[in-house]
Formats: sequence, structure tokens, C-alpha cells
Amino acid sequence: MAWYRQIRNLFRPNRLQRDLEKELAFHVTERAEELQHAGMSEAEAERAAHTQFGNLTAQIERTRDMDIPEYLEAFLRNLRLAARSLAKAPAFSITVILTLAMGIGANSAVFSAIDAVLLRPLPFPNGDALLLITQAQRKSPEPNVAPVRLEDWHRMNSTLLGITGYYAQDSSETSGELPEKLKCEFVAPRFLQVLGISPALGRDFTSQEEHYGGPSAALISDRLWRRRFNGTPDVIGKTLRFVDSSHPIIGVMPASFRFPDRDADVWMVSAPDYVYARSRELTWFTAIGRLKPGVTLGQARADLNTVQADLARQFPKPDADISPRVELLKESTVGGVKRSLWILFGSVSLLLLIACTNIAALLMSRSTGRQQEIAVRFSLGASRAAVAAQQLAEVFILALMGAAVGLLVATGASAVFRSLARDLPRVDEIALNWRIVLYCLVCAVATTLLSGLIPAVRSTRRGLSQSLAQAGRSQVSGRHPLQLALVAAQVALAVTLLAGAGLLLRSFQELGRVYPGFDPSHVLTLHVSTSWAETGNPKGSRQLMDRIEDGLRNLPGVESATSAAFLPGVPVDFAAQLKVSEGRAESEPPIRAHVQWITPSYFATMGIPLETGDLCRNDPGKTQLMVNRSFANLYFGGASAIGHHLEQPGNLYWIPGEIRGIVGDARETGLDREPAPIVYACNNLIQPGTNFLVKTHGDPATLISAVRRKIHELEPLRSVYDVTPVSEQISDAYAENRLRTILLSCFAATAVSLACVGLYGTLSYLVNLRRREVALRLALGALRKQVVGQFLGVGLRTAGVGCAAGLILAALFARLLSGMLFGVTATDPETVAGVLAIILTVSAIAALIPAVRAARVEPMQALREE
Amino acid sequence: MGEKKNDILQGTLVLLVLRTLASNRRMHGYAITARIHQVSEELLRVEEGSLYPALHRMEQEGWIKAEWGKTEKKREARFYSLTALGRKQLQQEEESWRRLTEGVARVIRYA
Repeated sequence: MAWYRQIRNLFRPNRLQRDLEKELAFHVTERAEELQHAGMSEAEAERAAHTQFGNLTAQIERTRDMDIPEYLEAFLRNLRLAARSLAKAPAFSITVILTLAMGIGANSAVFSAIDAVLLRPLPFPNGDALLLITQAQRKSPEPNVAPVRLEDWHRMNSTLLGITGYYAQDSSETSGELPEKLKCEFVAPRFLQVLGISPALGRDFTSQEEHYGGPSAALISDRLWRRRFNGTPDVIGKTLRFVDSSHPIIGVMPASFRFPDRDADVWMVSAPDYVYARSRELTWFTAIGRLKPGVTLGQARADLNTVQADLARQFPKPDADISPRVELLKESTVGGVKRSLWILFGSVSLLLLIACTNIAALLMSRSTGRQQEIAVRFSLGASRAAVAAQQLAEVFILALMGAAVGLLVATGASAVFRSLARDLPRVDEIALNWRIVLYCLVCAVATTLLSGLIPAVRSTRRGLSQSLAQAGRSQVSGRHPLQLALVAAQVALAVTLLAGAGLLLRSFQELGRVYPGFDPSHVLTLHVSTSWAETGNPKGSRQLMDRIEDGLRNLPGVESATSAAFLPGVPVDFAAQLKVSEGRAESEPPIRAHVQWITPSYFATMGIPLETGDLCRNDPGKTQLMVNRSFANLYFGGASAIGHHLEQPGNLYWIPGEIRGIVGDARETGLDREPAPIVYACNNLIQPGTNFLVKTHGDPATLISAVRRKIHELEPLRSVYDVTPVSEQISDAYAENRLRTILLSCFAATAVSLACVGLYGTLSYLVNLRRREVALRLALGALRKQVVGQFLGVGLRTAGVGCAAGLILAALFARLLSGMLFGVTATDPETVAGVLAIILTVSAIAALIPAVRAARVEPMQALREE
Repeated sequence: MGEKKNDILQGTLVLLVLRTLASNRRMHGYAITARIHQVSEELLRVEEGSLYPALHRMEQEGWIKAEWGKTEKKREARFYSLTALGRKQLQQEEESWRRLTEGVARVIRYA
């Protein structure tokens, strides 16, 4: 109550003053009247009443103090004073505001990404309780879960509210004029219950719909609803037609629901009692679970392991070989970019620190120029705290304005992140919200303290200020080690960032320079919609595949066409354990190799040379295999691998195949990784996600529409999508890499320019301060080049100290970056040399300008100014 | 101005004001001084310099509330009245005053 009234009074000072005057005047009037009654004359009574009351103004002030929160009032007064004094120094103010806008803006921008991607829970009710459950198998990299096992886990566990699952497939929807590719998510029962989301329109699946043979039904995305059905509510009951089935629409999901893929269009049921779904060997679901309240991740892990142990007793084959792997869904979604984002945040915080240091140095220069003013305030009785507080208030105003401009910068951040890294998880959740605004405010307060405290404390040292006030016209000024130390600190931080950026840039360059063993130029990739159901008919799939490949091959401008399960050069982990049918010595290590399914023209299309043996053929009867040089060397040593057969125990899809030849090593599993041992199976079948590859004579982009037309002509009911050059796909796969390289380089460039401005500013200030000293020396016969040398020396020595400290910091920073580097070591001498060269050159230039200006001083003129 | 003994002991002003307001519905500052002066048979005189800061502080504490009104002579004045919180505070102040005087009396008698 009391504080509320006090604060209200704060905002209407005039009214308060009027009321007080009126109240106290009334008292005096009454007293005078009484005295008059007692027999005094009117004038006498008036005078006596006033005398008795004392100084009216002082009384009003004393009373007023009771009505106003004193600290707040002082704070507001400081702000008013500060604003007035800043308005008189616009150049200084604008410099500080822009510096801070850059620092705070960049910082808040990165924070907004960290907040959206790492800090906020997934966009589901109690999203932190969601788990990703996959299976681990000793011999196979298969992470997906068999539907029947998923149901077992769901039924038998005691720590989860429910388990569900999904798999995705791009299907061709044909109810419109042209077939359209829709991203379909096939989901296990309980999908929406586990995620805790309900449709925005319509209803969830019924339990009948979740069984095989029950009515079919589809939920559609908000995006599809608006695009295809104009967002009208009568969409419920309309039918989606796919090649092999049709589904009435029962509901529309909320716009924010984009799970499991951000481009998901349709959700349909994959019934667990479907005949294939009952096999314990056939796996397709990615499983999602929700923890019961109060249950920890560890307890859920232990629980599911117990459940799986029971299943292993019931179904030794294959369950004995399988173990559940449980992790937080959020962790698995964003875990990969965590380090990059924190490193960017660290870098951008260093940048802000440089900005603060820069401003601290500026403030110190400014406060030296204000010694007179400060001395006057002291002599009028201001306390040290009051003077310091007023200086802090000035910084705070600037920081607030900087933060406001910075907020605008941060607002643009989501666009930058989206354009630089489309595939960054949760990138579309990055947006301005009150947390970012709050963060900007915190930044403003932090920068105020960081940059304002030291100057405020130093400039109000009574002894110093008094002596300086008297010695304002001294010939030789004192040394300014603290200012120079601040500049050195800026240089050190800039060196750190520049070295980090340099290492990432060099890695990026090296990555572009490495020959991957295949040639991605002039190769176009595309997908054609198919369903998993079609893979049940191998003969039909094979014919379809041949038809598409032949059609593509016969297009004018096309050199060759092929298909592959994985895009070469895009990081993938799919290493399987294989066995040589002819047997090997027990002592030999087990064979683990990445398996790539292709058709024989793959090697010609991707430019991978045949080294020995024959090229495989696509033989429907038995699988023909090719292996790469690494595989042959690693597992067969000097002996020939050709003619041996490989099998994968436990994999139903794997037909034992003969190794026909050896091809050159290629970085199939990622450009940044050494070539892995690879087995190529030459009987690739079309399935959802198969990559068709087309080698063109000219620019692949020119063939995009021809390719689309050809497929449409061959397969009018299927849709073609994601037609892009392979090189683009590979570079998108490294988008996170690109993001951090580009951003860190920008930060480093900003840091270097800030440090230069700092050096230039401080040195200019020193030169100004020592004008008379320089003039005197010149008058006494000093050479101008000696003066230049002296100031240049100060600048370079400062930069040198900064570089030395910066190299130590950079070594620490590089340690954080290890694992993100490619082809360079953390202590890459070329990078270090480059960084030093850049820093020393720019600081020499920044120091030279004020140094030359010092030498241009006209001695007589400067001395006469005295 | 005035003899020293007429000045009000530090800290008792609140008690006097609360007590005065407790037996009168609403009073302005001048009436409060006049009342204390009169009831104490001119033994106590409230210093104007401490009265108004004390009144405003008590208002902020919520013990009394103030409103503008007209006197019989149609002058505008600020009238104070006791709140429930102020009544409680008065009890406390009276209790501690009782203890203080008792203590002081004992010391005078026996020390």
C-alpha cells in the first residue's frame, strides 16, 4: 500500500508539492488567526505565526521526503541529469549506442536461437517428459522398432504413460488436378495421446481406426488444410486418394504441430495387428514414450531393460540380441547442435565484452575531460556515491538505447538462422518473445556495470580529482596504464575470436579442397514417390526402377542415370556386421562395413573408378557385390577379396552375394570422414527415399524441368520432388558447419574492428592530452619522426601484449573447437601467423593515424593555447 | 522559543497523535496541535517541524488516512482519521509507554 502511494507520488511531483503547500499554509493561517484573537494586530500575528512555523520550504521538503521513495527519486533524477549531459555529447553517445547495439544485438540474436532450440521444452505439453526409444543390436545398425515389440513394451512397462511410434513416407496424392507429393506420417496407436496434442478441428483416431481392417482415416496439417482446402471447416469427411488407398479426413492438426517432420502433411494409422507387423524381425517404427510423473530417465531405462529381458526369454530369437535405447526426445533432437550454439554464444559474449571494454576506455577518456565538473560537484557537497551513480546512470541510458536497437537486430536473427541453416532443428521456433526482451534488459544492466563501474569509481577518487582539477594545465600528464590495459584486453579477445574463426574457415576450405573419391559435379538427384507397401512386390519394384532409370538415361543431355539408398558425401551411420560365407580365421576381427545399395551404373555416374575385377550386374537371382579398396585391404589383407561371398546373419532382406570387383575409396559416409570400408550391393530396389542420380553433360540445373516432365510422362500417378544438384545437398548437410563458420567470422571481424577503434580512440586521446608536451619537445628540437615512433610504439606494444595474451586464450578456445576442425590442427601455425599478421597490421594503421597527428602539432600554436 | 520541558519526548509524538485521533473522528494538523496543547493543560506543545513529517509518515505506514475537507470557516484543510491498523498501533504504543514510565518511575524511586 505504502510503496504504491509513494511511487504514485513520484509520478506527479507537482500535485504533491501543491498539496503540501496548501496543507502547511492552512496551519500558518489558523495559527495567525488564533494569535489575532488573542489580541495581536493582523500583521503581527502573521509574522509571529510564520516565525513559529519556521522555514516553510524546508518544512515542505522534510514532509515531502515521507511521501516519496528516496532511492527511486534519486535514480530518476540521475537519469534526467544523465540524459541532459549525454545530449550535449552526441558523437560520444552515438558511438556508444552503436557499439552496444552491435554487441547486445548479436548476443541477443544468438541467445534467441539458444532459447528456442536448447532451453525451451519441446512444443508439447510437458515436452520434457517425452522419450525417444530405439533399439540397439549388436550386428545391425537398425534403430527402428518392430510394431509387435513396440506393443509389448507399451503393455509390459511400468514407468511410462504410453509408447507410440511413427515412420514417414512421401506419397503421391491424386485427388487434385496433378498428383502431389504429400509427406505422410504413419503412426502407431496412441500417437496424439502420448504427445499430448489434440486436433484443432475434428477428432483423434478411434480405437477401431487403430486396428487392421478398421475404417481408414487421416489427420491433416494446418498447412495442407489452408493450401488445398482453403482453410474451410467442411474439410472433415473429404477424401485423400493415394495410389493404393483412400482416406477420409477426420481432423486438422494445430499449425504449431509439426511432428515428426516439419513438412508433415498427413497422419495415418499403421495398425500393429497388420500381418507383417506381427513379425518380430520386421522393424519400422521410431518409438516415442512419455514418462510417468516423477519417473527419471534412469528408472525408465532400467524398466525397459527388464521388460526386454522378459521378452528375450519368451522369444530368444531375435529378442535376445536386442536392447532398448532410451534418451530424452529433446536431447536427441537438438543434442547435435548444442556445442555449435554454445560456442557461438561464447563468441558473441566475448564480442560484448570487447564492446564493454571499448566503452570503459571511452568513458575514462571522457571523465578525465570532466574533472572540472566532478570537482565542482564534490565541492558543492555531493557524495562520492552520488557522483558515481550519476555517471553509471549515463552509461545505463546509453545501454538501454543500445539494447533497444540491439533488439531490432535480434528480431532479424530468426531470418538469418533460417537462411543459413534451414535444417537446424527447431529453427522455425526462433522468434522474438518477452524472454528475449528481458534478456536484452539484463544485457543492458550487465554492460552498464561492466563498462561503467571502473571509470565511475576511478574518476571519483577524491584525491585524484582534486589534484587533477588543480593541475588541469600541467605540461606532462600522468601515465594511463589502465586505459592501455583495456585496449590490450580488447586486442586479446579479438585475437581469440579471429583465431577461432580462422580455424573454422581453414577447415571449411580444406573440406572444399579434399577430393572425396567421387565427383558430385553435374549430378542431379531426385526422389519419386513410392510406398513401403510396394516393396512387398520385388518384381514390380525392379521393373519400375528400370523404367525410371532408362527414361532418365535417354533424356538428351544426360550421360548416365542410377540410384542409391544413401546420397554419397552426406553424413550417415549405417555400418552392419557381415560374415564371409567361405569362413575366416577366428582371430580375424569381425567385419563391419557401411552398406550402400546401388544399381551398377552408380560407379560411372559418380566417377568412382573400378580398380580390379569386373563391374557388378543387377542380377535378380542373386546379389552381386562390389567392395572398396579400404574394405579389401582391411579385411582381406593382400589376398584377393574377389569371389568371396558376404552374408548378414539375421537380416532377412540380405541375400548372400558374391564380391565381383574392387572400386576406389570414396567418402560415401561424409565428406569430412576418411573413407570407410564399404560394401556396395548392386540390386537396389525402389523404396521411399531412394535417390535417383542423373549425370548431365552441362549444368544440372537446366535439366530439372525435363526430368520432371519425363517422370510424369512415364509414371503419371507418381510425383517427383526434391530435384536438386547433389553438390547442393552435400553442402546443405554441412549447413550447421557453414552457419557457425559464417557467424563466427562475422563476430571476429566485428571484434577486430572494435579493438581497432578502441586502440585508435585511446591513442588519439593520449595524443590530445600530451599535445603541449609534444609541442615543447618539438620546440626544443625533437624530430617529428621520433614523435611518430613514440606513439606508434605505444600502440604496437599494447597490441603486442594483447596478441600474446590472446594467443593463450585462442589455444583454450581451439580446444573447444576440436572435433569441428577438419584438415587443420588446433594450433595450426598458418592460422596463428595469419591472425598475428592481420591484428598487427590493422593495429599499426590504427596507431599510425594519431601518431602522425601528434607529430603535426605546431609547437608555437600549441604552447600559446596555455 | 518556549521552555525546554514543553518539547515532546522523541518517539511519543506518534502515541499522542494516534491517541488524539482515537477519540476524535477526523482532525486537521492544526487541530491536533491545539488539542494536545489544550488537553495537556499547556504542558505539551507540538513542534510544527516534526508534526507534518510525522503525519505523512504515519499515513504512508497506513495507520492514519487523510482526505481534503472544509473547516467550519469554509477553509480547505487536510483531515486525518485513524485506521484499523492505526488502532492496533495505538495499543502497542500505549503498552510500551506504560512500560517505559513504569521502568523510569522504579528507577527514580529505588536507584
